[in-house]
Formats: sequence, structure tokens, C-alpha cells
Amino acid sequence: MAISKDVYKEFEDVVGAENISDDPVIKAAYRSPDLTVVLPGNTEEVAAVIKLCNKHKIPYKAQSTGWSFMPPTYDFIFLDLRRMNRIIEINEKNMYAVVEPYVISAELQGELFKRGMICNVKGAGSTCTALAMSGHGHMGLTTSTGDRNDLATEWVTDEGEIIRLGTLGASDEWFCGDGPGPSLRGILRGGGVITKQATKVYHWPGPSEYPLEGVSPRYTLGKKPSDLNMMVRYFSFPSIEKLVEAELKIGESEIAFELMGFCPSMVSSNITTSNEEDFATLDKFTKEVQGPGFMVIIAGNFDEDFAYKKKALAQIIKETDGKSLKTVEDPAVESTLLFQCTRVCASIRETFRAGGMFSSMMVQGQRYDNHVKWLEEGAVLKRELIKKGLVIADDGQQFGWGEEQGHLGHTEIFCRFNPYDEKSSKAVQEWLGKLGKRALDGCFAVPAMGVLPVDEIGKRVSNYHVWFGKLKKAFDPNEVGENTGYSYVGADISGVHTSIYKKEPEKASPKQ
Amino acid sequence: MIKKEKLVEGAKILRAGKLIEIVGLGNVFSGTYHVEKTPHSIGFGNSFRTAFVVKPRNSDDIAKLVKLANDTQTPLVPVSSGPPHFRGDSAPGTGGAVIVDLTKMKKVIRVDRAHRVAMVEPGVTFGELIPAVKKEGLRLNMPLLPRKSKSVVGSMLEREPVVMPKYHWDISDPLACVEVVFGNGEMFRTGQAAGPGTIEEQWAAGGAQKTPYGPGPAQWYRLIQGAQGTMGIVTWASLRCELLPKLEEPFVVGSPDLDKLFELVHWLVRLRLVNECLVLNNSNLAALVAKKWPGDYQDLKDSLPPWVLFFNVAGYDYFPEERVSSQIKGISDLTNRIGVEAERAVGRVSAAEMLKTVQRPSAEPYWKLRYRGACHDIFFITTYEKLEGQIGVMQELANEFGYPASDMGIYLQPIVQGANCHCEFNLFYDPENPSELNRVEELSSFAVTALMATGAFFSRPYGKSARMIVNRDAAYVEALTRVKEILDPNRVMNPGKLCF
Amino acid sequence: MAIEDYRGDVEMCCRCSACKHIPLQKIKGVEHSEACPSIAKYNFHAYSGSGRLLIAKEMLTNGFKYTDKLLDIVYNCQMCGACDISCKYAMDMEVLEPIYEFRIKAVEEGHTNPALDKAITSLRKQGTMVPGAKAKRGEWAKGLGIKDFLRQKTKVAYHVGCLTSFDKDMWPVARATAKLLNKAGVDFGIGGEVESCCGGRAYQMGYQNDFIRQAQNNMALFKQCSIETLVTSCANGYHAFKVLYDKFGLKGNLEVLHITEYLARLIKEGKLKLNKKVNMTVTYHDPCYLGRLGEPWIHWEGKRIPGYKFVFDPPKEYRRGTHGVYEPPREVLTSIPGLKLSEMDRIKEYAWCCGAGGGVNESNPEFAMWTAKERIEEAESTGAEAIATACPWCEKNFNEAIKESGSGLKVYDIVELVEKAI
Repeated sequence: MAISKDVYKEFEDVVGAENISDDPVIKAAYRSPDLTVVLPGNTEEVAAVIKLCNKHKIPYKAQSTGWSFMPPTYDFIFLDLRRMNRIIEINEKNMYAVVEPYVISAELQGELFKRGMICNVKGAGSTCTALAMSGHGHMGLTTSTGDRNDLATEWVTDEGEIIRLGTLGASDEWFCGDGPGPSLRGILRGGGVITKQATKVYHWPGPSEYPLEGVSPRYTLGKKPSDLNMMVRYFSFPSIEKLVEAELKIGESEIAFELMGFCPSMVSSNITTSNEEDFATLDKFTKEVQGPGFMVIIAGNFDEDFAYKKKALAQIIKETDGKSLKTVEDPAVESTLLFQCTRVCASIRETFRAGGMFSSMMVQGQRYDNHVKWLEEGAVLKRELIKKGLVIADDGQQFGWGEEQGHLGHTEIFCRFNPYDEKSSKAVQEWLGKLGKRALDGCFAVPAMGVLPVDEIGKRVSNYHVWFGKLKKAFDPNEVGENTGYSYVGADISGVHTSIYKKEPEKASPKQ
Repeated sequence: MIKKEKLVEGAKILRAGKLIEIVGLGNVFSGTYHVEKTPHSIGFGNSFRTAFVVKPRNSDDIAKLVKLANDTQTPLVPVSSGPPHFRGDSAPGTGGAVIVDLTKMKKVIRVDRAHRVAMVEPGVTFGELIPAVKKEGLRLNMPLLPRKSKSVVGSMLEREPVVMPKYHWDISDPLACVEVVFGNGEMFRTGQAAGPGTIEEQWAAGGAQKTPYGPGPAQWYRLIQGAQGTMGIVTWASLRCELLPKLEEPFVVGSPDLDKLFELVHWLVRLRLVNECLVLNNSNLAALVAKKWPGDYQDLKDSLPPWVLFFNVAGYDYFPEERVSSQIKGISDLTNRIGVEAERAVGRVSAAEMLKTVQRPSAEPYWKLRYRGACHDIFFITTYEKLEGQIGVMQELANEFGYPASDMGIYLQPIVQGANCHCEFNLFYDPENPSELNRVEELSSFAVTALMATGAFFSRPYGKSARMIVNRDAAYVEALTRVKEILDPNRVMNPGKLCF
Repeated sequence: MAIEDYRGDVEMCCRCSACKHIPLQKIKGVEHSEACPSIAKYNFHAYSGSGRLLIAKEMLTNGFKYTDKLLDIVYNCQMCGACDISCKYAMDMEVLEPIYEFRIKAVEEGHTNPALDKAITSLRKQGTMVPGAKAKRGEWAKGLGIKDFLRQKTKVAYHVGCLTSFDKDMWPVARATAKLLNKAGVDFGIGGEVESCCGGRAYQMGYQNDFIRQAQNNMALFKQCSIETLVTSCANGYHAFKVLYDKFGLKGNLEVLHITEYLARLIKEGKLKLNKKVNMTVTYHDPCYLGRLGEPWIHWEGKRIPGYKFVFDPPKEYRRGTHGVYEPPREVLTSIPGLKLSEMDRIKEYAWCCGAGGGVNESNPEFAMWTAKERIEEAESTGAEAIATACPWCEKNFNEAIKESGSGLKVYDIVELVEKAI
């Protein structure tokens, strides 16, 4: 459905002719046949565009950095927030930063490093928005998670009203997002557009800038990590139980900066620069490890702190029969993992490079409880796909990370595959379905979006879908806002819509 | 307990028999039961007479009560803590209300060491939960000296500040999940507790009710917190607990220079070097530790510098001595740089005594009542750099209103891992003295307005000022109202509070 | 190769947006984090490396439909390759090659840009990409007594390039180059009026056939004159002779050196001594075609191994910008006594383009200027008083940008700075 010329003109009047297009070639780059792309430059323009959407009852979707192919196919006004790319404030004393949606994490982090600080970066990597409210990340052990780092927020509702949460509404300041009274942070992920947000930031014990040497794609750290009071190790364990025990102890003893439960294939992806090198390295690792494992980054605030943390880590690993992967002890590899995991935040090498796509089942919660056990079942199912040659033959394991010193965590398993291979895509979808069903039947977790019909999940999860539907209706009476949130089940982003890889573009789907 | 005849007589609005049917005869009381003998604070606003007080025994009772309230258009006011009440959120804002007194729901449902989480009913007090979790090697991140009868769930729902900023990742901490009967009578579980499966099935699968967000994109618990019972009634809540340290080394730093102290606070919290961490003025610190009144109080106060920072260094299971000594090394680098001294005692107050004090609920009588018999608190959230100015404004106003500023207690609590600071002024007064009471009341009213102008954020507004504070932002109120209409469409939950 | 041959690559694009930014671990803040001028200026995803691949994918599936907008996207790209390098930090896929092939296809199918047509007409008639007559190409060298390699035998040819030959403002660079080569005792010659365009810029504009014709003619001339080493001070020329000629199997054994490589070698060998102090803080701009795109062509032929991985038999080695010419210009600069090198945020393989490449200079001067001004601002932020470069196109664009923006920054070719030190 194309919008009429007159309506187009109304949108054009808001953002200017150079910031709107419905040209087929522009749309092709957004991989959606039925949209008009607008590039608002500020909050007022976002609000005005959404008000027009309400006036004409045209659905819209907004996108910040748009990692991978997340947009649904039925939206007609597409707000690409690329022009909203300013860092509004970095408040070192009160440890927060305020950003617009198109500030990427790498940019915010670059600024923060100079001030001895760091922000949480989404698991999807540092090309993604630095807004707090969008996903969990590998450094969650000490930098918390997307759902819990947001402070004051400027939010445009699905009706185009600008709501300023917490101190922003009270005194034009950014330090608190809750109240007065109940906190509307509770409904921010339900719809509308976040146009500015304060996010908590954390102390960074590392250098103000990594002294990188070399040329892409093989950068090296000019120093040994130990010279920076930092250490990276990968430990494997004889069993999941031992791994869980070690993970718990590391969290409780507060000694690690990051605990990233990489499986060996993710380590090999991150330290290698091509697929061939990756697969050869994985072969080597697979022989070296004794079972499931994780990577730990230790960062000392000062010499004594570093020494203590290393000593406690060694003791925990000893008690849990952990074994260090020798390759990672090489300072060159160690340093690659260090900047790869703290600045790039992994992701692209480990997800897309091998086959072009990945699909994930993930859950946010405590990594070490039922989630690991459940996704181990997923690993067994995944290995069947590997045997059949349908997905990339990695080690097949789940992965995840600890958050808030092990109070919370993230667990995930994905299959990497060629999305243009229909057999592979179908097999992966079925695998996700099985895994999702098992999550429900085993009372393990809420499966990620798109895996099962939302009603099927909702009725087993406090009928949340009914409640969310009410919220949606209250804040989006004209049903113009994105309603994929309706099918988001964990507070997460998830695997990727594989439907876009079908040969024929999907028809606009009716709204639920 | 009241006689049946009297009940019927008083039940003009409600059918009392229905209440008795739901909770049993022994758990329905006349409205006068609730009236506290002493007005401990002036924050109550206009208090209305209560029709009944009911004491539900379980969540089923609560669900039925809420349904009945909807059927009969009866206001419900949930109360989970025992008296004395201070802030007026549990005082009916409208006539004919039924107080839902949750103090009988006292089950500690579960304490789970591995997941560092506990699950409790709303009637469980700090005095009860602290030993229960201690048995499992855990401890609570709790407010400063809560009164013994204070409900743990109530405290969390009020987003009360806690004394260990390091573990206060989010302002909602330590609350994890809740089971709630929304105002429309429907039961809901938030976060990881939502499902799949019953709570017992989740336990059997190895899970715990720990993850607060969800289910779905919404974070329901945030809508219930800070609502002062206007959205629904929480029937149990889970909360994250912290490990009991193996070794603790507490310190105090006294100084007349608040800026310097907060420079230290910033780094202590930023580097996560300390557990308990808070700042008190001499009045409050003396009030907290004085044993013999009034002589001891004044002597103590005279022995103290204007400001005292208290912090505690802890070691856990692995090499606790080495951990503590490494942290102390880091701290001494900081204190040297900043030009302050961390000591074992300041004046006549020892750090060790402080540590013991802040890890327990207040001894009786409640510490805020010991000095003058009553206390009115003015508290808000702010940032470090604004503190000096805001304290100045308050002191100036106090003096202007004839309240000696030097008598005022001040409590400064870094929260949300140093992103915010809770600032609290405690105005101690004699409740029997009408002119003192009036003075405090007037001062309080002026102070809220004056402090707001300096950027003080009253995120938890209670009493008379609440409406004025909330209504400042019409768009926000409009959004809150939409949420309220979903969860409590008939507005039976604690009407008259906030903007509802 | 044709765009169709890159279907697998365009399908690999996962829209991670790495192509929009410099390598993530190099980002120092919101300033100077962008890699691609086109997406930075035009904002719609279509203008990014990823967007271009997604358009290619769409058109490979549903047919090529040329609209004004498509051509606007196709021609508003400096072909600077920054997207390609940023993508390939993580991915195994081609980005710039399919973008080239898309443009070549557009040209072959007659969807050209009038401004570029004009430049090509000049190329076809006069052998130059800038206005000028063939006969006047060697005028800059008048009176310098430089050998004419067509008539006087010499193994080393100095290819001056179109812009330096015909733009009098650039003549000092050519003259300085000749002076330095002489000083170092290099026996070299120039083509003078027989020198013809390398063809590189025609290729950038999508006129592949014109490029090949130029390449064939040039190589025939070099062969005829027994030229063994070709030296150029133009980055476009360097890329053409060294990389593109090789890609099309035309380079033979010709040794191609950029003047900065040659100077670095001569200085190391002690043949050129830099004695005079040049007290100046200078920042260095890596020309795209000398830096990331200056790395040798990798000849590879193979097939994708059927299945779910994007791997090839034999394994494909990608050009990732690793072996571009980054150090020689810096070695030359740092061997100048008194000169202090102050680096910009975006350097080497992730340097920001000057704006002049890919025909943008001709087709959209405003965009070319915008891009150059961004770079001038970045150069100024280093505290340097001058920006040095190693390509006449960069120098020209920077000079114009400075003129427009009123910046006090000076622009030098490295050769000019070396000349000052002699």
C-alpha cells in the first residue's frame, strides 16, 4: 500500500523533502516493498510523524541502528532514526550518559573510555544503539542489562505524545527514570519511540584507549593484557554442573569483569579472520577442551586488586576442576579477545560470517539454573541438524553470560546456516519450535519471539499477552504502532526473521 | 474483634457478612481498630474514617476481597506493615474504605541460597526475615534501620533506599517478582514467576523467581512499585539477597566538608570497594546510636563532626583477609588523594557499633521517635553536586520557620550504584505540642516546593504534597491514568493517592 | 566478473552496519566514527555499502530497473572502499567489487551520468580525464631537461597523471618529483605528450571498456620503451597500474611504485639525504587508492563449495586492506628533520576519503566538497598546521575545501615537503 501524494506531502512538510522517500530503490535497501521511509531529525519530528500516522491510520515502525533484518514487512511509515545521533550528556560524577537512538555503543564507549568508564553493549555488538533499552550484553556481569540500565527517558507514544519520565519531566534532568509514583519504565518496551535516554555507565579499569597496532583485520594490542592489570582466560569443565558451580562462585566472589560463556566455536570465530582459519582453529580447540566452558576477563582497579582477583579465580578453577585453554593464554590471543569482547563485543564474526545467518533461542534470567539444562537439550537436538549437514558444524553448545555478579544471566543457543538453503531454514525453524515447546512443557523458560503462536505461550505465562494487549490498546488506540512487541515474550531480542529470505517477498501480514 | 451486631450496624456500604465469609469472623475488625493513638508524622493529609479492617490469610482471600470491592464499589487500602505508620499512604484517602491489613500473611515461602533469593508474604517484617535468610548464609540489602514492624514487601514496593549502593543496580532492587491481585480482581505474576508452570513446577525444574522483567516487553513490577497500593495488592514478593560476608571491616570518615566526603563516596561506589555506605549528619548519627536519652544523645552529637561517612569493606568465601586488605589499600589511596581520613571511630561513635546498628532493624522505640516523640521526613532523590545547595535551602527554611536547623537530622544515601543520592531531612518534633506540629507542617510544605525548584526529585511523593508533585507533568499523569484504568478500572484501590 | 558473479556475496550481507563505521575498536567517540561519506551525507540505508548490496540483491532477483534515484545512489559513491574494509574485518565477502560491477553494468546498459560522460569524452579524445590537449601534457617539464622515454632509453618511467599534467597549480609537485629523482641519481624519463591517462578514474566511474583500452595502450607503450619500473605520484594512477592492470592480466612484470615508496627506498638507501629542517606539524591523509585500495590484487579463481557455509575451493583469500601503502609515506614524512607527524582519528585502512574519487568530483562537486571539508575539520582537530597527502586529487579537493571553509590549514603533497628538506 502506497500512501497518497497528499499524505506524502504532509510527512514531507515535517521532515523536509531530502528526508523522505518512497522510491522503490530506497525501499529495496530496507527490504520491504510497502513503505515510505522518513528520517526524522529530532523528537518533535518523531512526534509529528507519529501524529500524522494516527491521523491517517497508517502503521509505522521506528528503527534505531537496525541490526540485522528486524523490521516486519507490514509497516508503511518507516522511521529510520539515523539522523538522531547525538550524545546529549556524559555525567561522570553521577555515572550516566544520555544518548539519542543512533549513537552506537562503540561511539559512546569511545567517549566513556576517555573518562575511565564503560557502558553495557548489546550482545549484537557495538554497531548497535547505545540506548539502554535494547538487549543484554556480554559484559552484563558488571555492566548490568538493557532492562535495568535506563534512567530518565524521553518517549514518544504511539499516539505521538511526548512523555518525559522521572527527573526529565520534573526538572529537565536525566538521573532518575522512576516516578513520581509508579514507574513508566515498565511500559517503555511496549511501543512508541524512545528519542533520548539516560543510561547508567560503569567504571572502566582499563586504558583510555587500547594501544592497538597492526592493520585490519588483525589488530593486536601493543601491550600484554597483564601490563594493563587485565587477564583473559578460557576454562573448560568436566561437566555442566562443574561449570555452573564455577560460574556461581566467580559471580559471588565479585572477581570478574566479564564472564562470557562462549562455546569454543565462538572463541575461535572471534580470534580468527576468515572462515577457513576459524574452522581449523575450532578443530584444535575441540580437542583441547574437556567439556563446556566460559571465558573470564579479570580487570584490576589497582595492583593489589588484580593480584587478589587472579588468586581467587585460580582457587575457584582448581576447586571446580576447570582447565585453561592454552591457546588463550598466549598474550596475542588473549589481547584479541580482550578488545574484541569489550569494544567490538564480538557478534558478527561469530554469528554471520560462517553461513550468512543465525537463528537463536535465548532467555534472559539466571543462566545457571534451569535455562542451561533446557538449552543443553537444545544442543542435543542441534547436533542432529549438524549430522544431517543442515547447519554449521560448530560444537553445538549453548552459551551465555552472567549478569549483575551472577544474580541474573543470559542463556542462548543458535544455529548458523545459509538462509537461502530452504532445507536448512526449515530445519532451523523446526528446531526452534521444538525447543520453544520444550521450554513451556518443562516449565523452563519463556521461549523467544516468533517461535510459537503468542496465544499458546501467553496462556501459560500468566496470560501476559492479554494484559499486554490492553496496554497496547490504551497507548495505541489507532493501532498504528509496531505490534511485534505483542509477540516478544522474553524481554529480549531474538533470532532473526528467516522469512525475509524466501524467494518471494512476503505479502503484508494483517495485524494481530 | 467486634460483635456481629455492631458490624452489621456499621456496614452501610459493605455487606460485612461477605467480608467475614471471605476472611473469617476473627479477621474482620471495625474501622476504629486502625486508628493509631499517636500521630507520628504529619504526612497523612486528610484522613477519613475507615469502615472495616480485614486481615486476609492468603492470596485467595485477597482475590475475593478485591472482587467484592469491585462488586460493591468499596475502596480498599492495603497495609502490610505494623504501626507506627508515617507516610500516610496507608491512611484512607476517601471515606468508607476497607483496610486490607496484610500483617497476618507471614510466610517466608522460600529462601534459596544458590539463587540468592527469598520469597515472602507481605506480612513478613525485617525483624523476621533477617534471621531467616541468615540461616542460609544470606543477608538483605535493606533500608537504614527500618522499624521492626516494617514489612519487607512494603519497603520494596515503596522503592525505599537501601544501605548497600553497590548491590543497588536498579532503583527497583532488591524486588524481584511479585504475585499481585490487580484492582480488577485478576491475579498476575510478574517476571520469571509468570510462567510457564506454577511456582512449584518452576522450582521442580530448577528455576527460581528472580528475573524481574517481563513477561513480555512490559516490566509489570515497575507499575506496581511506587504505586502506594493504587494498582493492586501484592500477595507475595521475591527479593534478591546478598551473601553474608566472611569478614567485615567498617570505617567512619568525619568531616565538615560534604564535598570531600562525596568525592570519596563517588569513588568508593564507582570502584565497588564497599558494601554499606551512607552519610549522616551529627544529629542523625547521634539519634541512631544513643542509648540513654536525652543526655547521651547530646553528648554524642557534641562529639561528632558535622558529617560522618560510614562504609564497610567485606570479604567473602575466597581469601577474605586478602580481599579486604586489597580493598583497604585502594581506599587509603583514595582518602590520601582526597585529603580525608578513614578511621575506626569518630567522636564517641565506633565504626563497629555502626555496622551492628545498620545491619538490624531499629530497636524499640523506633529511632526516629526517640528524640522528640515524632518525626516528619522530607526525602527526595538528587545528585551529589546538588546536595550542598539543597541542604542549604532546607537549613535556611528551617531557621526561618523557627525550627533549629541544627536539630534536623540529615541522611544521605547513595543509591543506584552511585547514579543517584537519596536525601532525607528528619524533622523531629513533639507531637503533643500543637505549635511545634504546626511549625513542622508549614515548614514541610514550603520546603517541598523550594526543594523542587532546586531539582530535588520527589519520586515517592506521600501525603499532602503528593498530588502537587505528581500533577506537575500532565502528560505523565495522563499516561499513568491509562495504566491505572487497565489494572484498576473501578478505582477501588486506595483512591485519593497520587494522582488517582 | 560481473555483478551476477557476486550474488553469493550480496546475499551474505547481514545488515550489521559495520560498513557505515570505521572498525569498531578504533572508534574514539561520536566524532570521526563514520567510514562512508555516502551514507554519512545521504542517510538513507541505500547509500551505504550494505544498502548497495541489498539493492543489487533485489535487482539480481527481480531485474534491474534504472530510476533516477537508483542512478543517484549509484553515482554518489567515491568508490573509496571504506565499507569493504570495515565489513571484512568480520566477514568473508566482497563489498566493493559488487558495487563496482553494479556501476559498470549501469554504464554498459547506457545509464550513465552526463558529467562523467563528458570526462570520458575527453579521455577518448585527448587521453586525459581533465580538460587539456594531448600535445600540452608535457608542458610542466619544459626546461627541466627530463628524458623522454619514448626517445631516450630508460628503465624508469615517471607517470605524472592527468591532473598534475594539466593543472598548473599541481606542476610544482611534478617538478619537485623530477628534482628529487634527479637528486637521488635515478635515471628516469617521462612520456610527455605520449603519456596517456592510466584509465583508473574511468574504471572508478564504471567505464570498464575505456579503462581496458587505456591499459592496453599504456602497457604497449611501456613494453615498446622497455620500461621496467613505473613511478607515479598519483594514487589513482598507482591503483590503476598496480592493482587494476594486474586484475585484468595486463600488468606483466612492470614494477609499480608510488613516489612515496620510491622516496622511502631512496632515503633508506642513503641516496636521498634530507638535511634541512622543516619545522612544521603535519597530519597525513591516506589517499584511498594508495592506502586500503593500494594493496596488490589477489588472483583467485574458484567455486563456492555447495552447502551451508560460505567457503570456496580453493579457499579464497580476500583483499582486506591489510597490505595497502601506509608506512612509506609516514617513513618519508618522519625522516624530514623538524617535521612532526600528528595523526588523525581515521587513518590507514579506515581513512576518510577526500571526496574526489569515483567520479563524484565531476558528477556531484558539492558532495565532493562536503566530504573534503569533513576531512579538513578532522585534520584541524589534530592541531597540525598542514595536511600532507600523496595524490593530486586529494590535494586539489582539500585546497578547494579550505578555500570554501576559510580554514587556515595548508595542503602539501609529501613530495613538496621533501623538497623543502633538501
